[in-house]
Amino acid sequence: MFLHVFVNRLKCILGDRQIIFWTLMFPILLGTLFNLAFSNLASAENFSKISIAVVDSPAYQKSMLKTVIGFVSQAASSDSMFVVTLTDEKQAIDLLKNNKVEGYISMKNGPKLFVKQSGINQTIIKSFLDTTSQMESTFNSIVKSDPVKYQNPINLIQLQLSLTSNANLLKEVSASKSKPDTTVNYFYTLIAMACLYGGFLGLKEIGALQADLSTQGARINVAPVHKMKVLMGSLAAALLVNYAEILVVLAYLILVLKVNFGDQIGYILLLSLAGSMLGLSLGAFVTALVKKGEGVKIGILTGVSMMLSFFAGMMYVDIKYLITKNIPILGYLNPANLITDGFYSLYFYDDHTRFFINLGGVLVFTTLLCVGTYLVLRRRRYASI
Amino acid sequence: MQVFKAYIIIAKKNLPQMLIYVGIFLFIAVMISSLNKTPPPGEFSQAKTKLAIFNNDINGVVSKALVKFLSDKSEIVTLDNNSEKIQDALFFRNVEYIVKIPVGFSDSLRTQNPIQLEKISVPGSTSSFYTDMLINNFVNTTLRYIKFEPSITDVQLASNIQKDMSINTPVVVKTYETYSGNTQNVVYYFNYLAYSLMAISILGVSGFMIVFGNIDIRRRNLCAPMTSRSMNFQILLGNMIFAAVAYIILVGISFFLYGSDMFTTNAALLCLNAGAFMFAAISLSLLIGNFAKPNSISAITNVITLGTCFISGVFVPQQFLGSAVLTFASFTPTYWYVKTNNEIGTMINFSSENLMRVGGYALIELGFGLLFLIIAFFVSKRKRVSNN
Repeated sequence: MFLHVFVNRLKCILGDRQIIFWTLMFPILLGTLFNLAFSNLASAENFSKISIAVVDSPAYQKSMLKTVIGFVSQAASSDSMFVVTLTDEKQAIDLLKNNKVEGYISMKNGPKLFVKQSGINQTIIKSFLDTTSQMESTFNSIVKSDPVKYQNPINLIQLQLSLTSNANLLKEVSASKSKPDTTVNYFYTLIAMACLYGGFLGLKEIGALQADLSTQGARINVAPVHKMKVLMGSLAAALLVNYAEILVVLAYLILVLKVNFGDQIGYILLLSLAGSMLGLSLGAFVTALVKKGEGVKIGILTGVSMMLSFFAGMMYVDIKYLITKNIPILGYLNPANLITDGFYSLYFYDDHTRFFINLGGVLVFTTLLCVGTYLVLRRRRYASI
Repeated sequence: MQVFKAYIIIAKKNLPQMLIYVGIFLFIAVMISSLNKTPPPGEFSQAKTKLAIFNNDINGVVSKALVKFLSDKSEIVTLDNNSEKIQDALFFRNVEYIVKIPVGFSDSLRTQNPIQLEKISVPGSTSSFYTDMLINNFVNTTLRYIKFEPSITDVQLASNIQKDMSINTPVVVKTYETYSGNTQNVVYYFNYLAYSLMAISILGVSGFMIVFGNIDIRRRNLCAPMTSRSMNFQILLGNMIFAAVAYIILVGISFFLYGSDMFTTNAALLCLNAGAFMFAAISLSLLIGNFAKPNSISAITNVITLGTCFISGVFVPQQFLGSAVLTFASFTPTYWYVKTNNEIGTMINFSSENLMRVGGYALIELGFGLLFLIIAFFVSKRKRVSNN
């Protein structure tokens, strides 16, 4: 009997095109859109060479700035940071006006920077000019400390040379084994959303079982089969479909869109399974609890899933951080955040403590929702429907 | 006016769903404008990196000077020295650069093998590049003093460095255009408007078309004692009034949100552009209404609105989208609508040349609208004929 229910419910679900759209096609579509929209976003914060113009003048030709700019504008050099156009003032203004350069430098009455707006690139140019002037100041104050010594040209040249050789005392330590690429979080929330959308399956299954919700449910209730068996058969079919869909979405994200989920496939599959169960039980619980029409139930389920996904950072990634930092308990009470955070901790953390806390949270939620559904649904009898 | 009344009844039934879209839209629009605080133009303000410093060399004079120097140039973030907290903060860009000063750093600068500073940053990022530059400048200045004046005391060293580091290059901000941050907020609002205008059009217009497209209802209507001209006229009237009301409400909200910023030539052009886009959206909805099934309408609404908005630069600005995506997007009216908005937002010179260009984009939107209308007309004509 279990098998009979299981196979037929499977057919019913797979024949429901609307459900398949929302639980499978919609996450794939959103994933594709995320990928199209975010693929350049991560590289937007990367440093790329800054275009500047320098107004040529006798003062510039004599200055130390010229030497230093020579160093930082060589294309092959690793210190290279500027693309420099040497020009006259009129043309420099033109270049700035037409956004061809981020700023131009003029040596008239000391170095001065002309820009159109404030920004990180403009700050870098300014900082560069500061550095050059500061070096001159260092140079002068060293010479002043021992004027006799620096009358010797050899000592002076040594000092001058030291200005262009830079030691690097910075050691890069990486925070984690993975790149801190914020955009992956959007894809993790997407899986969380797909899991919660599995609730539509739970909704459909419980609806089909309840005598007061569908004629089909009424017919099933008079059949001489233990209700638990029917319930298990239906839920198993729904879980199989939902989990398979999540795996398809995951495979699409990982293999086609090349989203980085880390390489711990076993844990990823485990979390996805827990997430699928959570989604199903959420749908079942809403259906059992809400005594209104199907439209209202779908509305509530969609609203809840979207809201939870929003707080997990699906629309705006900083929301997740704000909650985790300021009201961490709210993060643990949000099932979408638990799933998202589980994927995130697999990707970004070296140990598994946080992953298991998240996985445990998902399982606790699932259990609570299942028990809740059971308490609402058990021993229902109807005198008339 | 039975048909027109029926239109209103159906539109009312779809109202809750439409309000959801308006609600989502307003939430995003308000959040975006509150997050966007542009600095006042005319004055140069240095960009600051979000920096966390862990100074373990508490007694080091140079280390202290370094902390002070970096604090002036950066936005200091306080973090717990706990690897999970640091990882979280870095991932979500609450901090962009973390520098750890090891014990004995100051003293080691006087030796042959100075201890290295440890940094954690977003690799390859501009903020990381900038902070590297600041720290390297400070450290190298220190090393130069030590190399050429080995007898210098720590206190003297710190004061020399501080003197050097306080040199500032004057920056002049040239204003070639009156570019105000508030116009930018209005442009954000109008860009996001593409999402809600499109969603509401499809829900409203297609929602009506689907009800009236039901074959039994259509057959009943055809034998009603009403000329098809009158019926079509009432449907057209319904659509137009629906479009006008939706437009007035959504554009009207911007006057509440942005007040005086709306009484500029730029804002007037934005309103006109939204009108052109509304026409395209309504035409598209008519087309969809001709072949959509009743229960597929919310799927279609989501696919079309989210799809066009994502690729056309509504949610993520056009400058961040790949050229292939943009080329594809240029086959939708949404792309031209957003492009026009962005151009209007930065316009200061309302020369006929500039206006012609922007007007040309708006014409493309209207052209899309016309194209959808023509296709819708043919589809509905064929459907009518085939059913007979």
